[in-house]
Amino acid sequence: MKKNLLTIIISAVLAVIFVLLLFTFQVRTSEVAVVTTFGRTTREITEPRAFPFFKWPWPIQKVYKLDKRIQNFEDKFTEAFTADGNNLLTQVYVGWRITDAKAFFPKFAGGSTVAAERLLEDIVTAAKQSRVGQHPLGELVNADPRQLKFDAIEAEIRAQAQAQLALQNCGISIDYLGIKRLGLPESVTQSVFDRMTAERKGLADKLDAEGQAEARKIKSSADLAASKVISTAESKAREIRASGETVAADLLPAFQQNPELANFLSSLETLEASTRSKTTLIFDSRTLPFNLFTGSVTNK
Amino acid sequence: MERNLQKNGLVNLVTLLLVGGAVFGLARYSNVLSGQVAAVFLGLGVLVAFVSWFQMRLEDRERLEKLELEEMARSKASATLFEGKDAEVFPAQRSREQFEKFFVPGFTVVLLILQGVAALFLWRWLAKVLAPEPFRQEMVAMSLFALLALILFLIGRFSATIARLENHRLLRPSANHLLLAAYLCAFVALAVAGVKGEFPNTDLYVARGLVIVLGLIAVETVAILIFEIYRPRVKGRVARPLYDSRLVGVLAQPEGLVATAAQTLDYQFGFKVSETWFYTAFKQAARWVFLLQLAALLLSSCFVFVDPGEHALLERFGRPVAGREVLNPGAHLKWPWPMDKVYRYRTEEIQTLRVGAPEEEDEHAQKVVLWTVAHAKEDNFLVANRERVDAGATASPEGRKTPPVSLLTVSIPVQYQITNLVQWVYNHESSSNLLQQLATREVVSYLVSADINELMSSARQEAAMLLRDRIQAAADAQKLGARVLFVGLQDLHPPVKVAPEYQKVVSAFHQKQAKIIAAEAEATSTNTMAGAQALALTNTAEAERIRLELTATARAAAFTNQIPAYQAAPTVYKQRLYAQVFPRAIADARKFILVATNTDNVIQFDLQQKIEDAYIEQVGAAITQPKK
Repeated sequence: MKKNLLTIIISAVLAVIFVLLLFTFQVRTSEVAVVTTFGRTTREITEPRAFPFFKWPWPIQKVYKLDKRIQNFEDKFTEAFTADGNNLLTQVYVGWRITDAKAFFPKFAGGSTVAAERLLEDIVTAAKQSRVGQHPLGELVNADPRQLKFDAIEAEIRAQAQAQLALQNCGISIDYLGIKRLGLPESVTQSVFDRMTAERKGLADKLDAEGQAEARKIKSSADLAASKVISTAESKAREIRASGETVAADLLPAFQQNPELANFLSSLETLEASTRSKTTLIFDSRTLPFNLFTGSVTNK
Repeated sequence: MERNLQKNGLVNLVTLLLVGGAVFGLARYSNVLSGQVAAVFLGLGVLVAFVSWFQMRLEDRERLEKLELEEMARSKASATLFEGKDAEVFPAQRSREQFEKFFVPGFTVVLLILQGVAALFLWRWLAKVLAPEPFRQEMVAMSLFALLALILFLIGRFSATIARLENHRLLRPSANHLLLAAYLCAFVALAVAGVKGEFPNTDLYVARGLVIVLGLIAVETVAILIFEIYRPRVKGRVARPLYDSRLVGVLAQPEGLVATAAQTLDYQFGFKVSETWFYTAFKQAARWVFLLQLAALLLSSCFVFVDPGEHALLERFGRPVAGREVLNPGAHLKWPWPMDKVYRYRTEEIQTLRVGAPEEEDEHAQKVVLWTVAHAKEDNFLVANRERVDAGATASPEGRKTPPVSLLTVSIPVQYQITNLVQWVYNHESSSNLLQQLATREVVSYLVSADINELMSSARQEAAMLLRDRIQAAADAQKLGARVLFVGLQDLHPPVKVAPEYQKVVSAFHQKQAKIIAAEAEATSTNTMAGAQALALTNTAEAERIRLELTATARAAAFTNQIPAYQAAPTVYKQRLYAQVFPRAIADARKFILVATNTDNVIQFDLQQKIEDAYIEQVGAAITQPKK
């Protein structure tokens, strides 16, 4: 009996828990719940309360909980023409939320946010392609920030997508939209690589030429300065030599005392100086002192 | 009286088939991973139940055949009938034997392959599941799983009891599979409840656990097949079916394990331990223990221990508890689950997201990171190029325009911390994802107006600070409740295909510097040498001047002194001076002295060339041998 009582207690506790779980449900702050009765939407609960909500068990009532927080997704990286004929790949991210669960729920099977995002993606991508085509590339990529219209283009895409959503009455609103990525098709990317390579090569060649020119300038300046210094030195040397010659000239009157001797001495000095090396002299017997050979044994 | 158990086998088969289909459909619809794995167990159970049922039919046919033969033998109507061969006389027995000999091992091998492939496939499949999809109609799913568990348990228990009482080896495998499936369904229901509670990964863990069990069963099947080869065949001894897993039996009827344990204890201690007061009391109190465990489990959900570095959100029936929305690290009390629920977050942890190319697994292990070597998947961003803006677009080989932009490979780590947990959790469905998108957007919008060359050199640090501020502002505008701590632009470089050209520019710059430095060195040398040469020139001139002056002075003085000697003997003095100077003057000169004067030979000297000795000998010979 005691054993059965315990079994009954355990069974009763489990049954109570099971029944409570079947007849009640909770809604979190971040959720909105849609209650359907035999498939018809009968209740929308947007805020939680201090105790659980009641419902009839499945299959009479079903509770669909939807996330009412801002949800985000990003569309595909798609190619489009800009107004100036450039091929540009763009991708945007979108923050959206359910503003009207009753309007949202029947439009997407079971309140599927995946289905909602698919619909949103179509709308947003169409708006994006349309707006990108209205602007030249320079308004999306430009070194001059004044010519950029990045924020304005984002706002245009968002406004166009929001207007389309309002027409469809999906119970969805777009909270924010931003351009997440810009890119170029593969073939254009390769062309950009080629151009970047050419630019770099040009810059390298320019630097090389600059180096050579600078070196040449430095060398020629140095040569000029050296020439100046040497010329100055040569001039000064000439002056020095001249001053020496002046002093020597001042002594010439001393030789005037006996010009014959002075000229003879001068001739001797000249002779000595001019026959020091690499000189071939041919004497005959008339030349002093070789005249001493005259009448010798060899002439016999 | 022997019961016909074929019907039980068929009921088991049909139950496994129907419930298996229901479990699979329910699990797929509700996105319950463990339910899908349990469906595989049920599928394998269907195969086993079918084979065992078929084998039962064969045995039944054999039994009927024997009965008929015994009847006929008793009537002795035709004794000759028993003189034929066994195969002719006992076709049903022969069929059963052939079935057990060939089909059963073959089927067990197939079963093993299916178990192994299923375990492998399911393990890989679960490994790919990082974040399980949210459940659909989880309360309904949980209830149905519990209901299916009950159905399976009742039928399985009934079959298992009959199999045990009748000692029917062929009914046992399907009964075991029914009971195992019942427990699995109960586990699946508990896993769903766990996910509904505070343990979001329960379903995944249970699913993985079930896959491990499936793998163990496959290993056991391998062992059974190996042992079967060496098993001694004793005629008349009935063997356990090969496909009847002992592991499945133990899991399906764990009380058998307890009984075995009790028998082992009895044997070890030498007396009936299982009949002692302690063992009996423990057995009787088992239900209370179970109830106490349930109560303890429920009570344990009243305590929350928030770890250091964490904060937790406390919700009561889904609504933040006023004044206690965020629980700080430490111990806290709360109402039991499911009234109060706690959601933990690592708020103080510095988290990192990446803009651009994701970080490679071995990136941190790389010691050297070069622009020219791909160290991560490249993600190229458009960058404005100030030098090319005015140049306009050019055409690519495919006819597409090449816009005046450059590309930059970007992999930017953004480090952040959660500062306001309520905002972080309640404002956005995926705040970390949003922060990633905001950061990427800010990087893109910054780069489209930044100059690539500046960005990679002087503006890098400034850009990092600016980007951090802009991402922070964007996060604040969206009320993310996060603080951006750091934005790193260290991995910002030209694409790998172009990077070598950038290095060549740097190389060219250094070569330019080298040329300038070499020219400067040469200039310094030239200037220094010019200075030295100038000094040498002036010094030489100075020396010459001094020599000239001194020589002139000395010569004048000597001349004054020579005058008296000259005046005294002019001819002699001159002759003496000549004699003194002449040898000295011609000392180094080559000298030819033509002494003979009485010849008429004409001698020609080529004084432009060096006069060879042979030539002199020739001249000498000409002199000594005059022409006739």
